[in-house]
Amino acid sequence: MAKTYQYCVAENWGKGFIDHVESQRITFVSFPGNIWQVPAYNKHGNLWIAKVGGTLKTKDEAQVIVDAVITSAQNAWDSLPDDEKAPEVETNKRPTDIILEE
Amino acid sequence: MATYIGTHGSKVKNYTTDPDNPNVGQVWYNGTAKTIKVEAQTTVGAWSTGGNLNTGRDSLGGVGATKDAALAFGGGPPPAPGAKAITESYNGTAWTEVADLNSQRALVTGAGTYTSAIAAGGDQYSGVAESWNGSAWTSITNEPNGTNGYGSAGASNTNALFFGGAPQGSKALNRYWNGSSWAELDDLNTARADLAGSGKTYTQALAIGGMTSPSGFLAVVESFNGTSWTEISDLNAARGNLGGAGTQTSSLAYGGRNPSPVALTEEWNGSAWTETTNLSTARSTGANAGADNTNALYAGGSPNSVATEEWTGAGAPVVQTFTDS
Repeated sequence: MAKTYQYCVAENWGKGFIDHVESQRITFVSFPGNIWQVPAYNKHGNLWIAKVGGTLKTKDEAQVIVDAVITSAQNAWDSLPDDEKAPEVETNKRPTDIILEE
Repeated sequence: MATYIGTHGSKVKNYTTDPDNPNVGQVWYNGTAKTIKVEAQTTVGAWSTGGNLNTGRDSLGGVGATKDAALAFGGGPPPAPGAKAITESYNGTAWTEVADLNSQRALVTGAGTYTSAIAAGGDQYSGVAESWNGSAWTSITNEPNGTNGYGSAGASNTNALFFGGAPQGSKALNRYWNGSSWAELDDLNTARADLAGSGKTYTQALAIGGMTSPSGFLAVVESFNGTSWTEISDLNAARGNLGGAGTQTSSLAYGGRNPSPVALTEEWNGSAWTETTNLSTARSTGANAGADNTNALYAGGSPNSVATEEWTGAGAPVVQTFTDS
């Protein structure tokens, strides 16, 4: 099956990392660990990866990076005092696993 | 064949930096970048990255009349011992740290502009409120509800509205700050917390989405006319801890969670919500600012993000570079 997405590691430096025209042309999705998902077999996706100096990763390689960050965040959450996990702190949820798509 | 000089009355000019306020259709040569550029009109709304926050955080407050003039303050993660008092100002390119809040807190909400604003509430449940004059925060009378997770609207530090709040499902209250005291106005029809607000004055506000319980995410939207709230068209996707910016007739709702963070963006045109281009980074509890459904900002958010994204809507002017494709 042909893949739908490609993945790279690139650090978002801020203004100009993704410009308006690039965002109009393709869909960008970020994941923990500076992983970016853009369409596969797409000229604009390839140009953007080159522009930001992204390091290409297979889906499995990207998944390992995402898992490592999530696991670290889950361990940090698990070690919090119980009052900081209290129900009223709604935004402080235990991070959930993320599964990347082919 | 029509020529550029024939249409515009001048030749293509050579600039070292892009002109400040080009007209739509204007073409110029950027001698520094060695590229030809044009001021075009967008056909599709989209998010682009803005300057990163200096301090990554979530559950922070935000105000700003446009995406190029915004303020982000406080933040967490909650609860209070880990909360921050940091305030940063955005000029459309970069965030600069300015005077801190007097009281460090997360889950704080703001109303107004980057030169005149109110920050209220937070995770101490004390209703702590402060007024921003463009250079410093001054403590003012506490907001009487003493909550967090409000929606908000308003023009300045003398015209600010805060509605709803935590615990979820129990707060429908609606308080107005006139510069010297808090007044209770008509309650929301649906009590909720962690909602978004939009509106440039307290008499023209929207209350968008939110939560009724830890798992009760809402799509409900209400409109306030200064006297009472009226339920209007729902969001397409229910969520809480989302961002909102704009006016009663032209707003944007973005991000949030249900229960995980989402990247969804919806445009309000005064009669209906329409799903449009997603954020590139799904997140909730960021700082929001903006003018309308063509101009908005989302900065920070859960978990501890530094990311800023700027929304430019369809029909808005944008600089494009000529390429060979």
